[in-house]
Amino acid sequence: MNQNLHQAGVKLLNALSRHADLLMQVYLSGTVDEAKFSPKVIDSLVQMGILWRPDADADLRLKNAVRQLLEGSLHDERNRQIDANIGSALAGLKTLAGHYKEALQNQRFTESHAHLSDLTEHVYALTESLENNVRVLFSRINNEFGYVSSIDAKIRENQLAQSQVSELLTQLEMFRFDELSDIAASNRELRHLLIVTLQHSFSRVTQELSIVQARLLSLLGRFRELRGRTRLLKGFLLHMEHSPSFVPVNYCGLSQVPMLFNQASPVIKPASVDVTRIEHEQELQNLVSAIKTLNRPVKAYQPERAAHQIHVEKQSEVEFAEDKLKKAVEAYFCQIIDTGERLTALDYYQQQNLDFDTEAWLYQVIGGYQGLTSEEQSYFAIEQTGEPHPIYNGNFIIRDVELGLR
Amino acid sequence: MISEQGRILESLLSGAFICQVSDEDGWRFLKTTGNSDKIESQLNMLNRTLASAAEGEVYYAAYQTLGDSERKVLTSQFQDISGHLVPLVEWLLLVQQAGGTDVPVTQGTAIRLAEMQLTIEDTPAFAEQLAKISHYKLFGSTSVTVDGQIKQVFKRLTDLGYMLRPNQDKQIYIATGKVEYLYEVIKFIDETESLSLAEQADSAVKQGSLI
Repeated sequence: MNQNLHQAGVKLLNALSRHADLLMQVYLSGTVDEAKFSPKVIDSLVQMGILWRPDADADLRLKNAVRQLLEGSLHDERNRQIDANIGSALAGLKTLAGHYKEALQNQRFTESHAHLSDLTEHVYALTESLENNVRVLFSRINNEFGYVSSIDAKIRENQLAQSQVSELLTQLEMFRFDELSDIAASNRELRHLLIVTLQHSFSRVTQELSIVQARLLSLLGRFRELRGRTRLLKGFLLHMEHSPSFVPVNYCGLSQVPMLFNQASPVIKPASVDVTRIEHEQELQNLVSAIKTLNRPVKAYQPERAAHQIHVEKQSEVEFAEDKLKKAVEAYFCQIIDTGERLTALDYYQQQNLDFDTEAWLYQVIGGYQGLTSEEQSYFAIEQTGEPHPIYNGNFIIRDVELGLR
Repeated sequence: MISEQGRILESLLSGAFICQVSDEDGWRFLKTTGNSDKIESQLNMLNRTLASAAEGEVYYAAYQTLGDSERKVLTSQFQDISGHLVPLVEWLLLVQQAGGTDVPVTQGTAIRLAEMQLTIEDTPAFAEQLAKISHYKLFGSTSVTVDGQIKQVFKRLTDLGYMLRPNQDKQIYIATGKVEYLYEVIKFIDETESLSLAEQADSAVKQGSLI
């Protein structure tokens, strides 16, 4: 028997996994599209009790047990069912406990063992279903009934959840721990299951349910407020449509002006940057960098910009002073070549009574020498007399230049 | 360094609305008992008092005593506000409908301009509504494209303090507490003029469902 049950279970689970695609489609859409799948597959699923036909001409649907399995494991928020049938579960527990105690008294230990494991199973199933119920409620609160869009629908969902919570709470009152402890008596296993486990779960669930209830109430309040606001806005527009000339009385003329319309006019203007404070440097710099200089002198009449007649004449020739200077330097070089004697530039300057600036003269002499080709330079020897600058290092002040032939 | 108190005083005196979105630190500062008293005494020197609206969501400076000149200021302000109501309400409803979530705009609602623009462009009724809204004097758009209109509307709303653009590189806007103030104003008008606006809206919906 046990072997058969095992095999049948494996076969069922295999069928579930083989047709997982189909089952998920059914789960999401609600009914089977029979044209899409082979009738053989569908028949076998119906026979295994995974799908069923509620009515002769209705579509095939998923069995509730399979749907609950999926909803529970997938944490699907569409799951709004709360299993509040605690009374019958408790009655079942009491019966099983009776069986167990009877078997123990008659010393049928294998039987008692089976009863105990059954009882354990039921107790844990009960605690799990309680916790599951709370979790389902919480998940709905946490996304604020996001699966429905309108506020009215949210309010209805909220009311459903509240009725479920109160239902659950009245069911929880059926836990009579004094009765349970009488049943368990001095049996250690029974006491553990019926008192410790159940009480633990009971206290946790009641605590969480009270939180759920408070949250639901505050959510309901918020939804109602939102709905009230929408109505207010719509009503206002409707009113304005019906009586477009409507203007509210000027409440500011009343002796007691409502605070809502008592709004002082601004008195503070932005302050300026203080130039004497170092903390304001950054701001000041920003301001300065934003300054633009625009040089656009506005003048009524600008004679120099007025139209003129332009006379085109031949330009008088300009003789450059440098030319004279250059020639004098050439003459100086020539004299050195002619006489073959060393002569300083300033001595020559005095001999010839030249009237250039002496500094310009010296520059021109040095420049003249530098301007020669290197072959020509090699005929001359040039020596500068002068001294280094007393303050600025590295500068050499030339007082005179002496030129001679090599 | 300027103290927190001084900063808040300055922004109050410059006519700002302090809410959790626009200035969270300032808002928390004012929420703390004791701090508001300090600000209050300083405001009183300038004939101002600390006022709050929408159950303490927004703070602003109000006049302490009202003379003729203050009343004049308030009257012109009130005319502005009541004149702005229709365009603003139409805009709020447009955002709510185009958002697709049926949730009204409240403080902290984030609006992604690009998403909203797409929805409006795809729905001719919304585009028509936006065109109507953007041509009100309050928004003053002359554009014929949805793009130009929606940008102008949001720019004006940011200038008026109803919206905040936290990141200048992104077209994401966040509604400030001034939106809450707007609701409060409508609520106030509804109550004082006994317009029963909500009932009007309800009966209109019911009539619509009968047809």
